[in-house]
Amino acid sequence: MSTVYFEDIAVGDKTVFGEKKVTLEEILKFAQKFDPQPFHVDEKAAGESIYGGLIASGWHTGGMLMRMMVDNMVNQRTGLGSPGFDDLRWILPVRPGDILRFESTVIETRKSSSRPDMGIIRAQVFLLNQNDEKVLSVKTIGMMKTRTG
Amino acid sequence: MLYWEDFTVGRKMEFGAMEVTEEDIIEYATEFDPQSFHIDKEAASEHFFGGIIASGWHTAAMCMRMMVDGYLNNSATMGSPGVEQLRWKKPVRPGETLHVTAEITDRSLPRSKLELGFVKFSHIVCNQDGEVKMTMISSGMFLRKPSKISVQETSQ
Repeated sequence: MSTVYFEDIAVGDKTVFGEKKVTLEEILKFAQKFDPQPFHVDEKAAGESIYGGLIASGWHTGGMLMRMMVDNMVNQRTGLGSPGFDDLRWILPVRPGDILRFESTVIETRKSSSRPDMGIIRAQVFLLNQNDEKVLSVKTIGMMKTRTG
Repeated sequence: MLYWEDFTVGRKMEFGAMEVTEEDIIEYATEFDPQSFHIDKEAASEHFFGGIIASGWHTAAMCMRMMVDGYLNNSATMGSPGVEQLRWKKPVRPGETLHVTAEITDRSLPRSKLELGFVKFSHIVCNQDGEVKMTMISSGMFLRKPSKISVQETSQ
């Protein structure tokens, strides 16, 4: 049931959820398909690289972020999709066994100038690991239905 | 092997192609983006997209694969610090074939580390008809040609 509309979201709203445990099998499976660089798919080569061990593809971490948003936010909102994102930073490597959690703070809300039934929400999102280190940051853009529209 | 010196501003590279199947779209979305218009054919046909479409993150992952096969695995890459801007311009649908154009727009050398440099790319992902599906401005880090480092040092 979609019940959260654009008007229900305000600047400063904070959302926190997780957790997602990252496994070696998932890292290998994703990277073999989408990002077969040695430090993502080859444990020996990864050990000798600057990363000192196998790390997740940054796009795999992005996919895990999306899954956490779908499970916890998207289906409760009147979402109209997203045009993209800004300032994605892979701050620290994500490694097998890491446990990720999600933190989001709304930084901007505005009504669409061309579509009165739609509003745009921008948020600063972080993924953190089990040591409270930020591993990823991104500014998301989401479009939502307006209650009045 | 491509080093930082090889990525000159204005250079254009083209790579791909990759065919997008319905099976691939559903498989990716089931794991990472299980919204109905990515995984459920019937629900998707009633949605405003009018049919199943790929997750935007799936399109980005396919772009990554084309980059890896296109040049990254033949380069002295040290990874990427991130993406400045990414835009999903149009839905990607089953049966389309994607390819990538990458243009180098800027590059720089950090003062602290002589052995590597940054390169900024503007990527455009198109389908078989040249329709723009995704744009992405992102940076990569590449090792410098071993022989060039000492030259740079002495010239400064």
